Amino acid sequence: MLGEHCKALSASGTRPRSGAQLPGASLRDSMGRAEKVSYRAGGGTSLAHRAHTVRVLAGTEYKLRYSGSALGYFWSIAKPLAFFSVLYVVFGRALRFGVGIENYPLYLLLGVVLFTYFADATNSTVETLVNRSQLLRRLSFPRMIIPISVTVTVFITLCINLVAVVVFVAAARVVPQLDWIAVVPLLLELYLFVLGVSLILSTLYVYFRDIRQIWEVLLQILFYAAPVIYPLQLLPSWGQHLAFLNPITQIMQDFRALVLDSEQAPTVATVYGHSAMRLVPIATVLAIFALGVAIFKSREPWLAERV
Amino acid sequence: MNASRPLAVECIGVSKTFALPHDTRSNLRDYFKHPFKQSEVEQNRVLDGVDLSTYEGEFFGIVGPNGSGKSTLLKIIAGIYRQTSGVVRVFGKLSPFIELGVGFHLELNARDNVRINGTLLGLSQRQIDDRFPEILAFAELERFVDQKLKNYSTGMQLRLAYSIAIQAPFEILLLDEVFAVGDESFQEKCQETFAGMRAERKTVVLVSHDLDWIGRYCDRALLLRGGVVQETGPARDVVELYLEQERAALAPEVPIS
Repeated sequence: MLGEHCKALSASGTRPRSGAQLPGASLRDSMGRAEKVSYRAGGGTSLAHRAHTVRVLAGTEYKLRYSGSALGYFWSIAKPLAFFSVLYVVFGRALRFGVGIENYPLYLLLGVVLFTYFADATNSTVETLVNRSQLLRRLSFPRMIIPISVTVTVFITLCINLVAVVVFVAAARVVPQLDWIAVVPLLLELYLFVLGVSLILSTLYVYFRDIRQIWEVLLQILFYAAPVIYPLQLLPSWGQHLAFLNPITQIMQDFRALVLDSEQAPTVATVYGHSAMRLVPIATVLAIFALGVAIFKSREPWLAERV
Repeated sequence: MNASRPLAVECIGVSKTFALPHDTRSNLRDYFKHPFKQSEVEQNRVLDGVDLSTYEGEFFGIVGPNGSGKSTLLKIIAGIYRQTSGVVRVFGKLSPFIELGVGFHLELNARDNVRINGTLLGLSQRQIDDRFPEILAFAELERFVDQKLKNYSTGMQLRLAYSIAIQAPFEILLLDEVFAVGDESFQEKCQETFAGMRAERKTVVLVSHDLDWIGRYCDRALLLRGGVVQETGPARDVVELYLEQERAALAPEVPIS
């Protein structure tokens, strides 16, 4: 009797009237009680609409961040620059970290801007599912839209900050090279890494609220573990090897090697002396991204009742 | 009699159990203090083997006392909650109005809020732009278009929310008491939109305590009590049965002298 009503639907979402049974679900046993099947026809949203939703939510988030403040968007660029200035005075001038580096301000700025993105984006997503509980409990949409839109919002800020980097580049009279185009895949790698970490953190936070504090501490450790303020050469050889286990280090050093030169910013290939080693951080990023998606997806159906 | 009509929503043996931990250990300290202690979890069975089928173009009511699982059932059909067991099938584009104004930001103006809310409800940018004047006119808020939402009264916000909500593309609509908003004249407007939905043969599944409304507008209804379906049938009969049960429950406490 049930088979009469349902059939595999064509992609156009036409209404089933008769025909074959739903694939993968045998619905004829007693009341179907042991099964757990949800079947939706024509209820899903298209990929284009999902992308549009991310755009709208990210744009809103960006607008709200600075709404009501007199200087508005200016703050999104002023904050990392202020942070950079403090670090430059303390570590560059007073402690002379940049002695071996030809263009230490630019070296430092690149590190600060890239690390700020990682820290800001992950920090903003930790609580995001819980903060949007109103949305989760009232609408059904692919939940991943929420962490994606937050990481995209912060990515807009990163792009604006990179404009500041361009100003520094011009001031330092560094001539742009054609191979700078490689920053695009590097930014993509950074985004995937950030999204993967954010998916893990935001899902865990639903179950353990300590994640907020733990992550703040971890970020501080990561800030000093990555060569943001000091040249990588300052570390002993084993330390340099160890540092590259962190994909942030690889992305940062590759950026610097492009804009400055690889003499001053050893990359994963030069430190390990093997160009195939380049694949290791990329594989790490992909693994963390896959793990994030898997964890998020596995908890997705129950997020609404747990947040 | 209904065998030939196309189904809109079907639930077969849907059960839902919420795990309610008695003291939720949501921080690590508690894990360190009692690492092996299983926190007591009460299994709260909210729905138990619910069968429901509603057909295309039908107005279907769900009635029952507070805590009988009506809203949970609606959220499971909407795909917001996942059932513990059972089968849920939805044929057609479904739009849940569990609450109006989802995603409203008080710091933004009407235009921005319509964009956010409309997008979340499945409208494209083009559709939102095209229908924006219509939405504002229906909500009677043309004069306040550039005002931040925090300067709106509750009634104004609800009117705006409702006006966007009825623009969402859907074949099946889930309503949870949300139509009980606004003043008399706005209520009348809402009634008109319901008449329009009926004319367009939209399917509406609604939860309400307004038994009079259910009896008048719904074709069929379902009585839920303690997560179990007590009766499914013509709306008037189900409402009558529910009222009788309520009267019977009240009778001993209110002796007529």
